Amino acid sequence: MDWEALWLSLRLGGLTVLLLIPLAIAFGRFLALRSFFGRAVAEAVVALPLVLPPTVLGFYLLVAFGSDSWIGRTYDRFIGQPLVFSFEGLLLASIIVNVPFAVQPIQRAFESIPADLRDAAATCGMSWWRMLHRIELPLAWPGILTGMVLTFAHTLGEFGVVLMVGGNIPGETRTVAIAIYDRVQAFDDQAAGRMAALLLLVSLVAIALSYALSQRIGRRHG
Amino acid sequence: MAKTAPPTGLSVRFKQPRPIALDLAFSVAPGEILALVGPSGSGKSTTLRAIAGLYAPANGSILCNGTVWFDSRLRVDLPARARRVGMVFQSYALFPHLTALENVMEALGDLPAGERCDRARALLSGMHLDGLEERKPAALSGGQQQRVAVARALARRPSVLLLDEPFSAVDRVTRRRLRRELIELRRELSMPVILVTHDLDDVIRLADRMCLLSGGKILQTGSVEEVMARPANATVAELLDLVYEEARPAANARRG
Amino acid sequence: MKLSRLSLAAIGAGLFIGMSIAPARAQDVPVVAAAADLHFALSEVAKAFSTETQREVRLAFGSSGNFYRQIEQGGPYQMFLSADEQLVFDLAAKALTIDDGALYAVGRLVIVAPHGSPLKIDGRMAGLKQALAGGEIKKFAIANPEHAPYGRRAEEALRHAGLWGKIENRLVLGENASQAAQFALSGGAQGGIIPYSLVLAPSVAKRGTFALIPEEWHAPLRQRMTLLKGAGETARAFYAYMQSVRARAIMRRYGFVLPGEMS
Repeated sequence: MDWEALWLSLRLGGLTVLLLIPLAIAFGRFLALRSFFGRAVAEAVVALPLVLPPTVLGFYLLVAFGSDSWIGRTYDRFIGQPLVFSFEGLLLASIIVNVPFAVQPIQRAFESIPADLRDAAATCGMSWWRMLHRIELPLAWPGILTGMVLTFAHTLGEFGVVLMVGGNIPGETRTVAIAIYDRVQAFDDQAAGRMAALLLLVSLVAIALSYALSQRIGRRHG
Repeated sequence: MAKTAPPTGLSVRFKQPRPIALDLAFSVAPGEILALVGPSGSGKSTTLRAIAGLYAPANGSILCNGTVWFDSRLRVDLPARARRVGMVFQSYALFPHLTALENVMEALGDLPAGERCDRARALLSGMHLDGLEERKPAALSGGQQQRVAVARALARRPSVLLLDEPFSAVDRVTRRRLRRELIELRRELSMPVILVTHDLDDVIRLADRMCLLSGGKILQTGSVEEVMARPANATVAELLDLVYEEARPAANARRG
Repeated sequence: MKLSRLSLAAIGAGLFIGMSIAPARAQDVPVVAAAADLHFALSEVAKAFSTETQREVRLAFGSSGNFYRQIEQGGPYQMFLSADEQLVFDLAAKALTIDDGALYAVGRLVIVAPHGSPLKIDGRMAGLKQALAGGEIKKFAIANPEHAPYGRRAEEALRHAGLWGKIENRLVLGENASQAAQFALSGGAQGGIIPYSLVLAPSVAKRGTFALIPEEWHAPLRQRMTLLKGAGETARAFYAYMQSVRARAIMRRYGFVLPGEMS
């Protein structure tokens, strides 16, 4: 069991959730409430990482912030090391790749809030902020939690993008998923098996949790 | 909020070709109940939402007690929370995750925290909901939910009270009981009240004046008895007739 | 609901703080990029190094070509052990290294077959020729010649034996020499050509049979190592250690000899 890789994976998953979820709440709410021209396009772009092969994602991410890119070079100039093959680069890639897992359940949760509740909140004299945190967030909470769980689990399992953007650098970008690949190559099936079982368990728990939570959404509004 | 001038009531004028055709104007005096009647699609709910500030018509104006709430020419459009409206929605729109007490308290944001709870209790008590304050809407009957909705609408001491088909979601027996309560309540109401309904029984029992709407236009307006006894033309008569049959026993009871 | 919300926020804040703490980058634990064939040998050397000097290095194994590309793009390595010395010279020409580096080994190729494979193993590939003719070779594993030196040499050896044409479309290409070994011996393929150093590890040796391929059949696998620009103290110490008697002994046990050395 590669504890360093496990800790790295947990950090990556945790930080991705922490940074992505507030953005996903804002964007998911925006998509749920406003119908604007090009909304279908916006939703399609959000869903892209779901259907794109990870290597395609990895390739474009490398183009976008590899050391030949403007972003990569600027980052290197200010921070002193390249964005790719670093934990920070991996975090950035992870946030981008997890957008649909975070935004979609949250968007659906906001969509399931009946419109006249917002109207009622307005006629009660509630400010936008009060309506958000007193009415909308509590009602959307199961969806937000689902988004968090799915993002975390997906980050733990992400492989293709991590390999392309992060390499396989122990202590920096070698996540559990990569470590399994690494152990198999080293003919260490035992270690690989242990880590694979752990990831399987985490995935099962994540799926079960997200199903239970979406039932709660159904009950509340059903 | 000191109001030195005596309240003058609500005066409304809307005109737009689409998406929902509107071409109407009416006023409601303080303490008066005006019923907006008409078939579905006639624009009554849209009109109500526009008065509440939830919808902005293309042209028109809303004046309430001397304050301009909306004026398309002057580009004034106060948001809903800045207008002191109390609104009872057709579906009641109670916040499902909050108790009855908390629902009413949400409308009391102006008051200091300590007073909010007491005032909310008083309002619920006034609607005969003692003992039910801690219940969530799912644990309340249709009639009880409606009364919580009314309490919440009145909490802000609104300048206008709007009721959107408030009895449509309950059964006949409950409807009659709720109507009776509203009749009692109206004695204490000093603001203009607009009642949207397609049930003439509500109109006869509750309203002072009525507007008959069709296709966004007012076909006839006047006191309830006037309109019922002397419909302006065949269309009006037809529309009234549709529900008159149902309401005839009640109409006789009122007269007699 | 309120209490659990609060505790959730507290956990969240704690995690954030805990996670923001930078990893071992603060300490001087350099990452060393090493060709995949060094997997077992270098791991042993690193362990001996840390026992003797109390310092740690991190080892990253992969194909030399991949590492070359990553180093070009600024990958965070402080030392590079390539299976192809030309890559080190190329990096030196791009001023990415502190000097031309040092030769640390000449590698060898072996042909392997897992137990139960119809392939009969011998260094001159007579068995392979026979198995190919009899249609018994469905899959044969080598490292990807595009970016793995051991793969390129394997291709050269196969061409020399006149078997490349027949075997080309039955090849399974490993990402690096380690993966090629994994493919060759896990039962998915009937055999393969992999580094000698890997089969000298017990966990690999027990999986099948192997034989050395004559050195003259391919260009020599001159393996060169170098310190990269910005290498710290520990990396330099490790580089020096690689040339010590102790390290040389370990390398020899895995078949890595320097020209003129006794194996």
